Amino acid sequence: MQDKEKNIIITILFVTILLTAFILNIIKEDSQISIVERRKLATFPDLSFDNIIDGSLSKEFEDYALDQFICRDEFRNIKSLWSNYIFRKKDNNGIFVKENAIYKIEYPLNAANVLKNTKKIDDICNKYLKGKKTYFCIIPDKNYYLDEDILKIDVSEMQNMVKKELPYMNYIDICNELTLKDYYRTDLHLKEENLLKAVNKIKEEMNLDIDKNANYDIEELGDFYGVYYGKQSKKLIPDKINILTNNTIKNSVTYNYETSEKSPVYNKYKFQTSLDKYDVYLSGATPLITIENLDSSNDKELILFRDSFGSSIAPLLIENYSKITLVDLRYISSKILDNYIDFNNQDVLFLYSTLILNQNVLK
Amino acid sequence: MVFSSITFLFYFLPIVLIIYYIVPTKLKNLVLLISSFIFYFFGEPVYVLLMAFSIFSTYIFGLLIDKYKDTKYKKIFLIVSIAISISLLVYFKYTDFIISNINLFITHKLDLIHVILPIGISFYTFQMISYLVDVYKGESKVQKNILKLAMYVALFPQLIAGPIVRYKTIANQLENRTHTFEKFSNGVRRFILGLSKKVLIANVLGELVNVFLASNEMSVLYYLLYGVAITLQIYFDFSGYSDMAIGLAKMFGFEFLENFNYPYISKSITEFWRRWHISLSSFFKDYVYIPLGGNRVSKLKWIRNIMIVWLLTGIWHGAAWNFIIWGLYFGILLILEKLFLSKYLEKIPSIFSHLYVMIIVMISFVIFSGENTTQIFKNLTGLVGIGGVPLVSPESIYYFKSYFLVIIISIIAATPLCKNFVNKLKCKKIINLLEPVFLGILFVVSTSYIIDGSFNPFLYFRF
Repeated sequence: MQDKEKNIIITILFVTILLTAFILNIIKEDSQISIVERRKLATFPDLSFDNIIDGSLSKEFEDYALDQFICRDEFRNIKSLWSNYIFRKKDNNGIFVKENAIYKIEYPLNAANVLKNTKKIDDICNKYLKGKKTYFCIIPDKNYYLDEDILKIDVSEMQNMVKKELPYMNYIDICNELTLKDYYRTDLHLKEENLLKAVNKIKEEMNLDIDKNANYDIEELGDFYGVYYGKQSKKLIPDKINILTNNTIKNSVTYNYETSEKSPVYNKYKFQTSLDKYDVYLSGATPLITIENLDSSNDKELILFRDSFGSSIAPLLIENYSKITLVDLRYISSKILDNYIDFNNQDVLFLYSTLILNQNVLK
Repeated sequence: MVFSSITFLFYFLPIVLIIYYIVPTKLKNLVLLISSFIFYFFGEPVYVLLMAFSIFSTYIFGLLIDKYKDTKYKKIFLIVSIAISISLLVYFKYTDFIISNINLFITHKLDLIHVILPIGISFYTFQMISYLVDVYKGESKVQKNILKLAMYVALFPQLIAGPIVRYKTIANQLENRTHTFEKFSNGVRRFILGLSKKVLIANVLGELVNVFLASNEMSVLYYLLYGVAITLQIYFDFSGYSDMAIGLAKMFGFEFLENFNYPYISKSITEFWRRWHISLSSFFKDYVYIPLGGNRVSKLKWIRNIMIVWLLTGIWHGAAWNFIIWGLYFGILLILEKLFLSKYLEKIPSIFSHLYVMIIVMISFVIFSGENTTQIFKNLTGLVGIGGVPLVSPESIYYFKSYFLVIIISIIAATPLCKNFVNKLKCKKIINLLEPVFLGILFVVSTSYIIDGSFNPFLYFRF
């Protein structure tokens, strides 16, 4: 090829890419949400004198242009591939894939945040739970079980901090009751069907009856692409969401204080309609929800301070209680809990993942 | 608006290219002028008026200097016009810096004015000064068409991040320039390479720099990684922007002078500054150093001249002490080289002179990028392990492994090795065939990095 031909090809190629992308971006209908990224996409900014003059229009338009770019997901995949295979980076935006499972770097241990969270929990204990038997359990993030020399939270150090700051609590260690296979490959959460060993450990430490012959039916609901899936480029086979059911769980009902709605423990409608299929457990994230065991022959109650990991664990505890009240301190202030909860003789369990304890998100 | 944005690449640029090449020749300058103002308005809506005022002032004073060229008033008009430009620059860029330093010595503190720095003001102010001085010296004809002068100042390819284009360089091109496939494709090539340097290398290394700055887990390896990353990031970011500017200019028929010429292959700091930000160093040489007497004065005055130039070079980069220290640091090194160091540098094996330059430059960019003197001191001492930091840490080992290839690619790309290799190959037909493919891949991948919302800083907000 001669220089002249090359110059013409480069010119045509460049102009074609620019114009094609420009025209397609103009005629393409805007999407409202990204299923892969599980978020709302930016829409065309409102034009006003104020946002033009203060310069915010340019930022809003760039956000819109980025979110609505044609073949956005394919371009993100190209970036991920280049980062992984050309630059050989160990992670892409903190995400890496190992043996067909996806992980996110969570590092380092944020001691300041852990102390803020333990202080918050200590305040709750002093205000509402004096004299009550309280338990604390940390759920390790799945990176904890990776042998690979990667950056991960020092779970032992976090456990030591919690034990030191909350010495009056009974600490339950479930790290040895879990393995890497107990976590979804494409998500950060634990598979409910693999939780029995860890739940039995919790029950044992809390002096609850353990029915070794408890029969749970495993019901497969379908494919599950977890929260990490859309953040990397490999085409991995999806996880499956299975739920553990028995008559007690089937006859239990949840009440959501935020929506005033009653729902079954496993909300299959959410599984079909929600962007995050994990919402099948207790209908997803919410500040305050109760599970009532209608078959219960006792009046024992549990208050479970929890994050999203607690959603799949709580159903496995309901057979021991007549009622479980689940509090998610990410969405409700600890100062107003007594407006909703009558604190008396309940068991109290603080069940938090390392991921939440490492952040400053508890109210 | 920055070049490495979707708004610029896939909305602004195609629209401007279409209109520019559709309209008749006599309207092309008007299209460029309007689009340049829109380009600036989109990012700095209010300050577009400031730029318009500066252009108008420069236009009027240019005419006055020309009209009174044979009188003593010529000099007065030049001084007044430069004073206006410099006053605006000082007000917007240096007032808070000056006030905060005065406050160190007085009891009743003065309030800071908290004015936002107009992007590109340092670049276009210097361009206007170069025009006025060139007209004053008779090296350029006065521009009687304000629209053409406005286009010279506001031309969007060089408006916000340079290079500083002298009026005399493009005076003729404002009137008459050619548009060919060769020039356009050379522009495309240059633009894509610049975009790739910025997005694929500088921004990726910038992520490493940010991870380091956010970390509490310091080690000597981590400090070294930071030093290397910031040194490479600044080069690829700045030279990438210059490449994009030069490339865009070619697409619209202009020819800008080179701004970077592989500075990291230099064997001395003197050579480094002949290759780094050439438009700025030549501006200071022609408009400050030589008018002060250059080296044709006593040794003491010559040293004074050099230090003035480097003090100004430092402070031009930002209103903070680290930039002043950075400039003076280079001034002192250049004096030392001119006095005695250069003869030793010529004698030692080139690997040592390269090493000398890179260590000096790395230290300079650690100073350049520091937020405050405490952080700069910590980062500099950390580089050599002072302060009891361990040699390595888990985090530093992880990021060393993760960024190893990016750093190696960056180091190779900072030299003319690839260019020389390709030039030596005899299979030109195959190279010509592969080049469009290579450029297409780079453009698509750069776009994918931008779409992913990856780290994409604008480093010149303090310039």
